[in-house]
Amino acid sequence: MRRLFFALLLVLISTPHLHASDMERRLEAVFLGRFANYIELPDRSRSRFVITLIDDNPFGGMLDQIYKDKTIHGKPIEIRTTTRVREIGKTDILFITLSTTAARQEAIDYAQRNGIVTISEARGFAERGGIIQLNFVGQKTQIKINYAAAQKSGIRIGAPLLSIATVLRGGES
Amino acid sequence: MFNKLSIRFKLVVLLGASAAIALLISSALTLYSTYVTEKAEALRGLKQLGEVSSENLRAALAFRDAGSAQRILSPLHANPQIVAAFIEDEEGQAFSCYFAPGLSEEKCEQTRQAARATLGAVQKRNNGVELATFRHLYVMQPIMFEGTPIGTLSIVSDTSAIRVKLTRYIKSQLMISVGTMVILILISIPLEELFTRPIFALLTAMREVSRTKNYAVNVQLTRQDEFMDLCQGFNTMLAEIRERDEKLSTLATTDALTGLANRRHALEKMEEMLARARRKHEPLGVIMLDVDFFKHINDTLGHPVGDTVLREIARALSGSAREYDLVARIGGEEFLILCDNADQETTRAVAERIRARFEDSVIDYGDAQQVRVTVSLGVCSEVPYELTVEQLLKAADAALYQAKESGRNRVEMGRVL
Repeated sequence: MRRLFFALLLVLISTPHLHASDMERRLEAVFLGRFANYIELPDRSRSRFVITLIDDNPFGGMLDQIYKDKTIHGKPIEIRTTTRVREIGKTDILFITLSTTAARQEAIDYAQRNGIVTISEARGFAERGGIIQLNFVGQKTQIKINYAAAQKSGIRIGAPLLSIATVLRGGES
Repeated sequence: MFNKLSIRFKLVVLLGASAAIALLISSALTLYSTYVTEKAEALRGLKQLGEVSSENLRAALAFRDAGSAQRILSPLHANPQIVAAFIEDEEGQAFSCYFAPGLSEEKCEQTRQAARATLGAVQKRNNGVELATFRHLYVMQPIMFEGTPIGTLSIVSDTSAIRVKLTRYIKSQLMISVGTMVILILISIPLEELFTRPIFALLTAMREVSRTKNYAVNVQLTRQDEFMDLCQGFNTMLAEIRERDEKLSTLATTDALTGLANRRHALEKMEEMLARARRKHEPLGVIMLDVDFFKHINDTLGHPVGDTVLREIARALSGSAREYDLVARIGGEEFLILCDNADQETTRAVAERIRARFEDSVIDYGDAQQVRVTVSLGVCSEVPYELTVEQLLKAADAALYQAKESGRNRVEMGRVL
């Protein structure tokens, strides 16, 4: 019984906050595209700009609705979902909702090798090598960027985005 | 009041007033131009600030980071003219704002409401808006993201700096104007003499003529402008008056037929000669002459011959009289000769010489036709202590009557009884 309680507690601690309001969720959906505008990805010859959600899709059909007929860097947007890291494939942004730290780390490592921008709400995501950690605290948005991780992935982040974010410049990758 | 002022003061007042009006118009135009330029310059600066700020604010608004937006706006305090800045999202909801340090909450809200009211009306029509009122400048700049407005930045600046500059300009302009006016008045005093000197010269000459009736006055000017024309006109007018007076005087004192003094002038001169003779205790000789049978000449030879005879007698009398004697025609065929300082003997000698001249000569008229004329003369000479013109004339006339009665072509002496 005590084991089960601690197991549940551990799950609760490590699980990302998925209690965001609809408004926050909508903002988050919009922010995914807006981040892309301040990010310069490694040169790729793709015809589409791909946003992949790994594990849960907290947005439902919101992303399709928002990005329908929209473009990023002049490319039409494609929304994908997957549950496994090996199925991520070729993508530009990876939104991670994986519940365990180990699973997220695997996804982060995959993304770093493939020059993919990783975004997550999970606490400690940026410190563990994720590029953008996005949280809503009260009515405020908090953005944390791991600049060193971005550089390691060959990704350049624009100064305006850095100017409003908490930037981690080294050590944590 | 102005009409009573001397032309000298009028000129100074006119120069001063003209300068004051010119300065006023010039200052007003410059002031307005400065105000417009300063306002446009301030609006341009505010718009540039709005553009730069909206660019910097784009990410903050895009990611709903009000804290960052606040941080980006906070350097606005470096410009003390900026009263407030507001960021609103695409739905018009307040996102972040900045108020000048020291601004009360109430004042902040008032400013915000005023800005919303001022900019709200035009906000939808334009991408960017700039407005100026007397006290405030407003700039509204859209914050664009990927070509789409995601909010607006409104900046409100007060115009106190412009007003301070304009006040300073007005003060300096006032000082310059006062200085200029003083200098102009100092300059206008010698300048007005350029105009008033010829006018006063003419005025003085006119008063002199009016006082002395001397129309020989001649005003001299060294100018070459209209004053010269005026002066020449004045001198010409005086000359014409002089000439007219001389003509009138001649007409009034001269007998038109013979050119001798007429009766009136002769009597006036006789009064003068009598007074002088009385003063000097000298005798005055009076000769009255009448042409014998003149009516017969007129009747038989005609009036033109009669006139010729009278003219010839006048010429002969002028030639026979002394230089300082007066010869006058006082009636139809009657002449008067006044001999200054001539006693009885001298006067009689003059009269006899005249009589003998006519007796020994003829008068030509027409085509080689001649007429012989004799004259009768009555003579009187007295030292006129208390005698009058009438008494002397009466005595000479009585002697003339006696010469006529005695057979004509004679000289008779008369005495005052």
